[in-house]
Amino acid sequence: MLFLQLLLNGLQTGAIYALTAAGFALIFGATKIFHVAHGTAFTIAGYVFLFAWGAGWPSWLGVLASIAAAMVFGIVMERLVYRPIQRHEGSFFTVFVAAFGVSIVVQNIIGMIAGRGFATVDTPLSFSAEILPEIFVAPMLWISLATAGVLFVALTLFLTRHPAGVALRALAQNPDLIRTYGLSSNGLSVLAFAIGSALAAPAAIVTAMTTGLNEAIGHHVMLISIAATIVGGIGSLRGAALAGMMLGIAESLALTVVDTQWAEAVSFLVLFGFIIFRPAGIFGVTQTR
Amino acid sequence: MAASTGGLNRSRPTTAHAIEATGLSAGFGGREVLQDVSLTLKAGEILCMIGHNGAGKSTLLRVLFGLHRPSTGGMRVFGETPSNYTPAALGAAGVALVPEGRGVFPDLTVEEIFGLALWSAGVPKSGQRERIDEVLDVLPRIKEFRGRRAGTLSGGQQQMVSIGRALLTRPRALLLDEPSIGLAPKLFQDLIRPIAALRESRGMAILLVEQNVREAFAVSDRVLVMRSGKFIFEGAPSELDDHAKLMELF
Repeated sequence: MLFLQLLLNGLQTGAIYALTAAGFALIFGATKIFHVAHGTAFTIAGYVFLFAWGAGWPSWLGVLASIAAAMVFGIVMERLVYRPIQRHEGSFFTVFVAAFGVSIVVQNIIGMIAGRGFATVDTPLSFSAEILPEIFVAPMLWISLATAGVLFVALTLFLTRHPAGVALRALAQNPDLIRTYGLSSNGLSVLAFAIGSALAAPAAIVTAMTTGLNEAIGHHVMLISIAATIVGGIGSLRGAALAGMMLGIAESLALTVVDTQWAEAVSFLVLFGFIIFRPAGIFGVTQTR
Repeated sequence: MAASTGGLNRSRPTTAHAIEATGLSAGFGGREVLQDVSLTLKAGEILCMIGHNGAGKSTLLRVLFGLHRPSTGGMRVFGETPSNYTPAALGAAGVALVPEGRGVFPDLTVEEIFGLALWSAGVPKSGQRERIDEVLDVLPRIKEFRGRRAGTLSGGQQQMVSIGRALLTRPRALLLDEPSIGLAPKLFQDLIRPIAALRESRGMAILLVEQNVREAFAVSDRVLVMRSGKFIFEGAPSELDDHAKLMELF
């Protein structure tokens, strides 16, 4: 029964990881920008929802505000941080340090405004009920799984059926050629950041309604997103989402053999295992750039 | 093509010159690749540009399509100065570029590539079927592999898709950058002849950069020879029939 309970808990964590990892993978795949501040979009989205909830806004408005905040942050990072660095042919290291610096600044600002420590949204959706003997499940489990599933299907349809989504896949393959088609690689890059960052918002809202948020949570989210992108196979969105789900379940099931504080390390043991034995990841895609 | 002038936008003003570029200079990293180049591509003509590798031919095409900003000079397209020198603006003015190499995305299907081209050109859904049918009339073999990923196609098929993609925008001036690379001469003939025929049926101007001189001259009205970023010869293809003269220019 403990195994089943941990598996269900892991599915909820996995749904959160799958969404953030898919967002990170979309941005990295399309733009080749190592968006270390992706976790910060998650943190901002979560705290905007917390603020909206605390202010008594309707929950749908809080969700919209949270998504908008994540998108604006992603677009601002692309326009004001990454693009100027790329214009001056800055190195990967420059991009990394700049993004990490922004995430530290935002973390401190959130800490100053919202206070340090965990904050949660208190909602009946988070209250667990016993569905089987010794198995407790909150409605948020089903909500988070359904949200992740619907958004992933929607993202897949967008990337395969809508010309803008096809253009993002084309951008990932050859950004110079995309200009020959009369399309703007800068505009598509903004679109990738907007959509990728938006995917972090539902994950942040679920987190705010379950385990809670603190101002530093973005770092953990970012590390898991990177790990899932590598485990899933760089360039593969479904790989990143599947790996995010796997890492969430692995973290939870690890509690049968290790203490809570070691659970996060399990994700990285899985990552190291893939780096050694299957470096291309689950759905490794050969890069054309 | 079923309708001989179906690809022409009749609302646009007609002019004898498709592209008039004057005094273009451009370079990379401080090295000047084009030096004060002027060029006129007449409406409905096929102009062939040849020259050794690094002469500046591809750079000139990139400048003419707005992919590379010239340091000096300007251009007019069908008698009008473009609103700005970007591929989108020049595409809207009726210019299309088939780049060197295979201008396709290997992981996209042919249909996705065509859909992308039509979307970027702002063609409404209602008009897309007609555009695709026009291209399939010119390059009917594309029908055989429309559903396949471009990366799984042969070099000739990829080149066909690349040219078909450009034709979807109904260009009035088509810039072709070495379309014969990697293709057998017969395959290149099969590819270039229907494109060259569009000069007659649509009045389309073609600027053809080629190394395959024999085949290119066979369809061209005029030849330009470029060396070290400058034109050193302009004339009829027949003037270069003398092999010794051609080699001298190269």
